[in-house]
Amino acid sequence: MKIKKKTISAAIIYLVLSVIFVIVIFPVLYTILGSFKGNMELLTEGNSLFPKRFVLENYVQAWNMGNFAKYTWNSIFMSGTIVLGTIFTSTIAGYCFERGKFPFKNFLFLMVVSSMFVNLGSLTLYPQFAIAKVFGINKSLWGVIIIRVFGLNVTNLFITRSYIRSISVEIDESAKVDGCSFFSIYVRIILPLLKPLIATIAILEFRHSWNDYLMPMVFTLSNPDRMPLIVGIMNLKGSGVAASSWNLMLAGSAIALVPMIVVYLIFNRYFIEGLTAGAVKG
Amino acid sequence: MKKRIGKYRRSTDSTQALIMLAPMFIGFVIFTYVPIIYILRYAFYQSNGFSEEWIGIRNFVRLFTRDTMYWTSVANTFILAFGKLLLEIPLALLLAVLLNRGLKATGFFRVTLFLPAIISTAITGLIFSLMFAAYNGIINDMLMNAGLISRAINWFGNKWTALFVLGLASVWNNFGINMIFFLMALQSVPMELYECAEIDGITPLKKFFYITLPMIGPTFQAVLLMAIVGSLKVADLILASTNGQPAGGTEVVMTYVFKYFFGYDGRNIEVGYASAMAVITGIILAIVSFIYMKSTNKLGHSTE
Repeated sequence: MKIKKKTISAAIIYLVLSVIFVIVIFPVLYTILGSFKGNMELLTEGNSLFPKRFVLENYVQAWNMGNFAKYTWNSIFMSGTIVLGTIFTSTIAGYCFERGKFPFKNFLFLMVVSSMFVNLGSLTLYPQFAIAKVFGINKSLWGVIIIRVFGLNVTNLFITRSYIRSISVEIDESAKVDGCSFFSIYVRIILPLLKPLIATIAILEFRHSWNDYLMPMVFTLSNPDRMPLIVGIMNLKGSGVAASSWNLMLAGSAIALVPMIVVYLIFNRYFIEGLTAGAVKG
Repeated sequence: MKKRIGKYRRSTDSTQALIMLAPMFIGFVIFTYVPIIYILRYAFYQSNGFSEEWIGIRNFVRLFTRDTMYWTSVANTFILAFGKLLLEIPLALLLAVLLNRGLKATGFFRVTLFLPAIISTAITGLIFSLMFAAYNGIINDMLMNAGLISRAINWFGNKWTALFVLGLASVWNNFGINMIFFLMALQSVPMELYECAEIDGITPLKKFFYITLPMIGPTFQAVLLMAIVGSLKVADLILASTNGQPAGGTEVVMTYVFKYFFGYDGRNIEVGYASAMAVITGIILAIVSFIYMKSTNKLGHSTE
């Protein structure tokens, strides 16, 4: 009797989960399958999830005419540089704040932490842009890259700092006895020990920079050749031809989605861990 | 002699630390603190990005007395945020509870249900605006095929249906992360508590309200705060889908201010006025967080 009750409740749970699963996965399937529909089919009958006829034409068109080859390269370039740069700046910042001894350390750290409480979100975008203009980096993705890499991401700082705290200080000290300086301890001891953390940071940054819309949009507004994928796709929507370019928007979205999904499916553990750790501590 | 070497070594170490930290710290000050000072300053100026003029508190006077659109956008932001959280939080909690039952396919569902959380908010906005398009949108066609509606609904033609679709899009994009938070909290609830309660013959519903919910209280408090603040800061989603249409019906505060800053969407650039709005918006966000923290103290003190 008890076993029967258990199977029934398991069946109900599976049923609920499956229904929600279908609803959740629907928009993704819609985008990816829709990107294989011909434009005529998209614009005349929308009621079927699966294309009547698979066509690759949208991708060819997006790639050749829609500038998407450039957008894709820009996205790869921007997120790649940000990921690499952030790995170094975040781990260095975490290392300095955790192990370094220097004047005003607590004050500087307090400055960083207190910035979290000024909650302006995208409202500081304009001043950031204006400042970038002063440095002459406001017309390309370099502005975005520099702001993201050197802007000291508080979340990353927190997770690196607490990770480094868990590494025994004795390792540092014995290296110091062997003649290592503060910097060479970072390069030879700490950085190699941070590998799992680096994976988390890399994935967090990749997700963030690949998906980012507002900041790259602002920086490439006057320079469409530098637009990353997301901005390029939205640009298509904003332009007058929106109604006739569903196929390009869907193909573009699929190009933007698929790399992310593939990376996620391979490294989902790091994604879930990183996003939650980051949010909890940040 | 030896002591001296030690001292010398220590001072080079601290110099090295400062040099290593300097680029990031300078970047941080330039791109985090200077913008805030910039906004505080320009709030008292009239400026189109090229010329500027001190006008005292006139920007604030305009904001509080004449700009009803701003306050409409604030109201929209709150309606959207709280409306969608009414669905998002219970959904995330329900899924977490179901995934915590230790069934076989849990891993599969955990990974796939989290999938929307990794997708760009802008793309989410675009996909939902295509799916709910009035003509040939797949949702309309499916609803008509199923006989639930007789005519295509113009989802984005009416403020409330538009907000509804935006809410759905936002829930879709964000429930996953809350689900994982709740799941982590649930997994840390000691099993003994449930076993004791079962001996006392407790019903599952009571078990949830008297054991589970109080045990995950601190997590719940923190998750809800992040969800509220995150929802109030929504911008990408709106710009990528409705862009504030119809007639400002879905304009949220972030997009409204953004448009004044950049002269986006046919507006004039009014940096001074936008800064004043940014200051007030920041204060509103701070007040919301403060009230929230005060009123939910009972749930748990830890926000870690």
